Amino acid sequence: MKSKTLLAYAGLCILAIAGGLLAGYLTFHPRHPRPVTEAVLLHEAKPLPEFTLSDTAGQGFTRAALLGHWSLLYFGYTHCPDACPTTLSELDHMQGQLRGVPAADKPAVYFISVDPQRDDLALLRNYALYFNPAFIGATGNVESLKALTAPLGVDFSYDPADRKGDYGVNHSTFVVLVDPEAREVALFTPPLQPKRMAADYLAILKYYGENT
Amino acid sequence: MPRRLPVLLLLLAAFVPAARGEGPSVRAGHVWIRQAPPGVSVLAGYFSIENLTDKPLTLTSVKSPDFGTVEMHESVSQGGTESMRQVGEVDIPALGSVEFKPGGYHVMLMQPKKNLFAGDMVSLTLAFSDGSELAILAPVRRDPPQR
Repeated sequence: MKSKTLLAYAGLCILAIAGGLLAGYLTFHPRHPRPVTEAVLLHEAKPLPEFTLSDTAGQGFTRAALLGHWSLLYFGYTHCPDACPTTLSELDHMQGQLRGVPAADKPAVYFISVDPQRDDLALLRNYALYFNPAFIGATGNVESLKALTAPLGVDFSYDPADRKGDYGVNHSTFVVLVDPEAREVALFTPPLQPKRMAADYLAILKYYGENT
Repeated sequence: MPRRLPVLLLLLAAFVPAARGEGPSVRAGHVWIRQAPPGVSVLAGYFSIENLTDKPLTLTSVKSPDFGTVEMHESVSQGGTESMRQVGEVDIPALGSVEFKPGGYHVMLMQPKKNLFAGDMVSLTLAFSDGSELAILAPVRRDPPQR
């Protein structure tokens, strides 16, 4: 074989391999890279299980209620003087940062009480509205709560009551981002920075919009 | 002017050092109390305290005539789960400072004697291990003061 022919064959081979690699990359790799976020972006969106709670919007708070829009879930209790008001106030400021965003792209914010013994829907309604008129309160019995919290890795437990009957509730402080298909996609961990959260949220929205 | 007077007094109160014979030993700043949402009777108070002496000091108690019980608490985060624990005292290093802020040390103000809303003032008295006391006026606010 002449060396020129050999060279041509080699060239073709390299081209074929390169083409194959490119085709493979385009097929298996999303066209848009994952955004760099402060939020913990899950490698793969995790579908939420079925759950049934009550909410202050007057509907049952179920998996179906999360379909069709983005949501932020935060778990706490109203007798919580430090972490919960801080987080809800930051979530309100984050909503303020999203003022220019179309209503359909804004997240619904749910404050889910893990202290059903003291928090009823009437109390939760006033509490959630105080931070933002669009915030929704939700709760249910411990068993129903666990159906949602356990798969999300959200933890809660109760301290022993003092002599006045007051007790603290230990609870996870991250905020869960749920996509319109009711899948957990990211976590915002404290200290929350409303500006950064809003930017991360929009980046994640864009990423999911482009890759689905 | 009359509208500004309370603010002026507050600023003075917030930064007036504890009066002691040999000069001030502590100074407080960034004082505020988070307004309680409706239905809640526990408020959290925040401030920073600066130890102006070259000896370590301990904050031993916080009192307020406006509340039945006042305790010092610390939010402790462990593996993403936050819990609160009561602390009896808080050390302030020599020439150093300690911050009471959301997610950390805070004063738990319980059994308020009247409803408190943003703009109201609460008197707090901080007692220290060297026997000194610091009286501060804390404004009730919806949001933290700007730094």
